[in-house]
Amino acid sequence: MTSALKTEYLTINMGPQHPSTHGVIRFILKTDGEIIYECDPDVGYLHRGIEKIAESVTWQGFVPYTDRVDYVCAMNSNLSYCMAVEKLMGMETEIPKRAEYIRVIVSELNRISSHAVAIGAADMDMGAFTPFVHFLREREHINDLLEMACGARLTYNYICIGGVHNDLPPAFLSKTAEFLDHFEIVVEQINRLISYNQIFIKRFANVAVVPPKMAIDYNLVGPNLRGSGIKFDVRKDKPYSVYSDLDFDIPIGSGRAGTLGDCYDRYMVRVEEIRESIKIIRQCLKQIPAGETKAIVKSTIKPPKGHVYFRTETPRGDTGYFLYSDGKTSPTRLKIRTGSFTGMSIIPEIARGVFIADLVAIIGSLDIVAPELDR
Amino acid sequence: MDATLISIGLDPLTAKITSMVIISVIVLLAFVTIGGILTLVERRISGFMQSRLGPNRVGPQGALQWVADGVKLILKEDLIPEGADRKLFRIAPYFCLVGIFGTMVVFPWGKGVIVADLNVGLFYFISITALVVFGVLMAGWSSNNKWSLLGGMRAAAQIVSYEIPVGMSLLVPILISGTLSMGGIMASQGWLPWEWMVFKSPFAVLSFIIFFIGSLAEANRTPFDLPEAESELVSGYCTEYSGFRYAVFFLSEWANLFVLGGLTTSVFLGGGNLPGALEGFTILSVLVYLAKVAVVIFVVIWLRWTLPRFRIDQLMSLSWKYLLPGAFIAFLGQAAYMLLTQHTPIVQSIIAVLMFLVFVFVLIRFGLKVRVSINEQRIPVNSPASNVS
Amino acid sequence: MGAYFQNIKDGFTTAFEGMSISFATMFVRKETVQYPEVDISSNATIAEKYKGSLMGMPENYRGILDVDLSLCTACQICQKACPIDCIVIDNIKCDKTKLSDGDGSPVLNRFTQKEALKTRTVTRFDINAAKCMYCGLCEKACPTSAIRHTNQFEMNRESQEELILRFVSDDVKATAEKRASEIEAEAAAKKAAKAKKAQEEKAKEKGAEE
Ligand code: SF4
Ligand code: SF4
Repeated sequence: MTSALKTEYLTINMGPQHPSTHGVIRFILKTDGEIIYECDPDVGYLHRGIEKIAESVTWQGFVPYTDRVDYVCAMNSNLSYCMAVEKLMGMETEIPKRAEYIRVIVSELNRISSHAVAIGAADMDMGAFTPFVHFLREREHINDLLEMACGARLTYNYICIGGVHNDLPPAFLSKTAEFLDHFEIVVEQINRLISYNQIFIKRFANVAVVPPKMAIDYNLVGPNLRGSGIKFDVRKDKPYSVYSDLDFDIPIGSGRAGTLGDCYDRYMVRVEEIRESIKIIRQCLKQIPAGETKAIVKSTIKPPKGHVYFRTETPRGDTGYFLYSDGKTSPTRLKIRTGSFTGMSIIPEIARGVFIADLVAIIGSLDIVAPELDR
Repeated sequence: MDATLISIGLDPLTAKITSMVIISVIVLLAFVTIGGILTLVERRISGFMQSRLGPNRVGPQGALQWVADGVKLILKEDLIPEGADRKLFRIAPYFCLVGIFGTMVVFPWGKGVIVADLNVGLFYFISITALVVFGVLMAGWSSNNKWSLLGGMRAAAQIVSYEIPVGMSLLVPILISGTLSMGGIMASQGWLPWEWMVFKSPFAVLSFIIFFIGSLAEANRTPFDLPEAESELVSGYCTEYSGFRYAVFFLSEWANLFVLGGLTTSVFLGGGNLPGALEGFTILSVLVYLAKVAVVIFVVIWLRWTLPRFRIDQLMSLSWKYLLPGAFIAFLGQAAYMLLTQHTPIVQSIIAVLMFLVFVFVLIRFGLKVRVSINEQRIPVNSPASNVS
Repeated sequence: MGAYFQNIKDGFTTAFEGMSISFATMFVRKETVQYPEVDISSNATIAEKYKGSLMGMPENYRGILDVDLSLCTACQICQKACPIDCIVIDNIKCDKTKLSDGDGSPVLNRFTQKEALKTRTVTRFDINAAKCMYCGLCEKACPTSAIRHTNQFEMNRESQEELILRFVSDDVKATAEKRASEIEAEAAAKKAAKAKKAQEEKAKEKGAEE
């Protein structure tokens, strides 16, 4: 006998203004009660046409725009773009060593703060507000340090084509060293507060499993890829700047709390990357040489005709800048490849048959940042 | 009070009604004040737990913040969404209010300070709080918002499943004290910690834990705040509410916190019992009671700002797979325990003291842990020493 | 069954751990900066009332822009460096030494107290603070450090129009324009005189030839 009751799926609109979509991301959900049957991400709410803007500003003038590509890790975006232009101009070898070290220090500091926000936001989505504030408290110290270096707290525009804009203030290195000593312990404390909490683990373990093959198929990058157990990091596999001189590990997921490639693995990869970044900065503080911080670059540069694709490892993974130059004062075409976009593309696949609450965990664990997603 | 009113020349019926009205107004005002102050307390405590200060601008140390918030909420426009079930939408908050307010009737504020010491007090307590679920469900349904609906549904599922372990676990104190009246339960305990219900037997501890977790869930507190899970359901069942109606929800939520603390205190933590020598000082008794309630409330707030939230299926499995069997064990175990030790009260007391010592030991362990964490956070950052390069 | 009890145990111990940390935080310094009361403009001033461990504003803070017009050579490099065109500069040929500070004395360089020697002067220097993204490119490009970031960051105005910072007042503009026209007139007079002279000479030469 067939049931006389007819049921239908409930269509729910999640976002663009939903507390857990951090920024403006929208999902159209078809659910069966609380269980998601179909999830359709709708991107583009934060599209600002940054790639198009590049075609009308000078090569140097675009650097502040890269801050806005991903405001959670502006230094890393600066770095990607500037190194791409330097490669296009064939001046990679002219960059002073001190500038290279400063670049690595500030971008690793920024990586820590970005991961702190990512982890904290994931905690907050799980209903634990306190760890989020604790992470922000620590991030505030990083903001202070970076502000000391360049005068801005969020959109730094510190790294420039040919080096960095100005040398670090004298107290920066000692303050950074002190901060790392503090942070190393406190981050472990915050982990005890939330990351090892049984409820939290249960919320993240075995949710939204991305097997290694699927991660590659969907072109995941960065911690999301490494969370699935694939050891790939641009810093190690295609070293740029001075990363080849530094000694650090690449943490990968190992199915700590359940299945390989679940939300908890992705989350823990970030936690461990913070530790690695601390290690990197410590080495840099020891090795940083004295000297110039900027190579001589003309005020209006005209890179030779040609194109270049340069990838760096930002907190959200392998970020690539494609530049096409016609020998003019501004790029003819610029394309940015970001990690959040591929992270978003996998959501419909892994968010099938999970709870609405799990979707929130998925967004948190993939660390999707809306401005980077839409550019 | 009746007598006083009669003496000034009212006939008994009018006197009765007048006194009831007066008492209700007093209790309602107390209720509003408590709810309001608790919002402030919660915000300040959560601030401190997050290295913040919390609201401290309105009045000395922010003491009047709750008044300002209340005024703001009342002055706001009362919006009713299009397509809402207007009648239900309007009435829903008051169900919550009545559900919580009704408990005040059997609230033992101290020895002998109770509006009505019903002989089925505890039973009444459990039943009247069930009204809240109607309010929440109505609010969720009538808002014509899918998030609210999900919130309402979650609330219904949650409260209904947690009533069972809570009710079951309350059977243990009832077994021990042999009465359902709140005053009676309180009177069956002493003022010393090991005379409290919670330390009366190992099974009482178990039932206390189950009761506490279960009532957290009933009061929709984190880790069980699924009905209004902010990051999932926007604001759950009260998403569409604004203005006064929202204030009522808000208030009943925090008053619920007080009710939770009050019930826990009077059933498990010795209520407002005083040492024999001080018997009769009602004010002192009330103060002792309120102090205990404050501690319980602090623990609840503290839990809220520490733990993440469960998922709906985990919530259900916690209730049915963990708490319910636990409550059964506590109940049966307690019965057996009483049977075995009923002729040897000395054994009972020794076990009680032992359990209290274990508790003290746990507290000390905890204190040591806290000290470690404090020292970790005190590691300097941006100290003057680091100013030189 | 083992997992069942393990779950219970882990649930309690980890919650215990977490609670100890959130409790401990209550007794450690609060990081909130009570902003209007605490002067955050430098590390020294913030230390007066604030007990936490955050820093004040650094010296190189990139706040609202300020221009020292006595230094500005009206070269417009900053205008070209700005990626979003929020600087607008008009200039005219004008000898600044002849402009006065109002009381008759010549315009002085704010930093060196020497007379400003310029041959061009700005008649309009507008920075749209609403559009500006405080990137610092203009400051870095300026050859004379005339345009600088201050550590001001509060700028509440009623309308966007009021957020356009105009550094050249109408008076100064008028004086400069007057001066410019004077210079022009002088130059024209000179030129005319020169031409006249030349003509006269030519005429003389002609006369001599004849
Ligand atoms: S700070 Fe940047 S945006 Fe602002 S005026 Fe200068 S160059 Fe333009
Ligand atoms: S770059 Fe400096 S000197 Fe040139 S116009 Fe701008 S402010 Fe004046």
